[in-house]
Amino acid sequence: MLIFSVFKTLTDQTVTVELKNDLSITGVLKSVDQFLNIRLDNIKVADEARHPHMMAVKNCFIRGSVVRYVQLPAEHVDTQLLEDATRRGTRKHCILARVT
Amino acid sequence: MLVILRDGRKLHGVLRSYDQFANLVLEDTVERIYHGNAFAESWRGLFLIRGENVVLLGEIDLDREDDVPLKQVDYNILIDYHKQEAESKKEREEAKSQILYEQKGFCKEGGEGDGY
Amino acid sequence: MDPSVTGIQEPFDLIRLSLSERVFVKLRGDRQLTGILHAYDGHMNLIMSDVEETIMIVDPEAATNGQGVVNIAKRKMEMLFVRGDGVILVSPPART
Repeated sequence: MLIFSVFKTLTDQTVTVELKNDLSITGVLKSVDQFLNIRLDNIKVADEARHPHMMAVKNCFIRGSVVRYVQLPAEHVDTQLLEDATRRGTRKHCILARVT
Repeated sequence: MLVILRDGRKLHGVLRSYDQFANLVLEDTVERIYHGNAFAESWRGLFLIRGENVVLLGEIDLDREDDVPLKQVDYNILIDYHKQEAESKKEREEAKSQILYEQKGFCKEGGEGDGY
Repeated sequence: MDPSVTGIQEPFDLIRLSLSERVFVKLRGDRQLTGILHAYDGHMNLIMSDVEETIMIVDPEAATNGQGVVNIAKRKMEMLFVRGDGVILVSPPART
């Protein structure tokens, strides 16, 4: 859920999504859902010669499960906030685990 | 719409329906294969695709499609090249994973792995 | 060691203590990363910065006595999300 929120804050930013099949797509992050499926607009494929089928594609939907990495714009990521949120998130889950 | 599947197939068709899992219904579908700067297509028809097999859904920009510098050839001519390419890629992958397994302790992913 | 002293009770606690430190991550697909860990979740999805990725590439053409040559490619990325299903292990920095 935390990471879903992070992606939501990054909508309308330019990101590079690297798929497990080594296809690397840069585009504007238009939307993301709870499975981390991603919609990218205005895409540009790295090494287009190796992926000629992508030349006519401008906007696309990427299934979350095939993503290897997403390169994020560092200036739009608050690392301190992330670390605090991660600690909070895990502690909440620890407390829950102790109660049950 | 262009749909890329996990086995590397590229399907072009009209997206009629989808759901939360990215299960898709694709109508008037053709499968496209590529080799070098040529492509070919083969009629497939109506598909219901299970979401887990979908890698990517792309919207074909019709203006851009006219600019694509590829030439369409007969499917039967291209299919042999395409199969050859897939076969040699598979062999390379197998040799590679064997070498890395022996030398560096990386696991073999086997089967389809992430080779889509 | 007494778990109440170290605060480590479950595997994820080890990663929690590595937040804002440089970690080593081994991934599927013959890859490994080092970078500063900023966030993670229960799927082992990670967000890291100042990442260096190392990829093993085998050149079968340059095979010597059937062994093949393993080349190493490296690249750096400023801020990276790593999907948890590709993670094999996360290792905290060496403590002195």
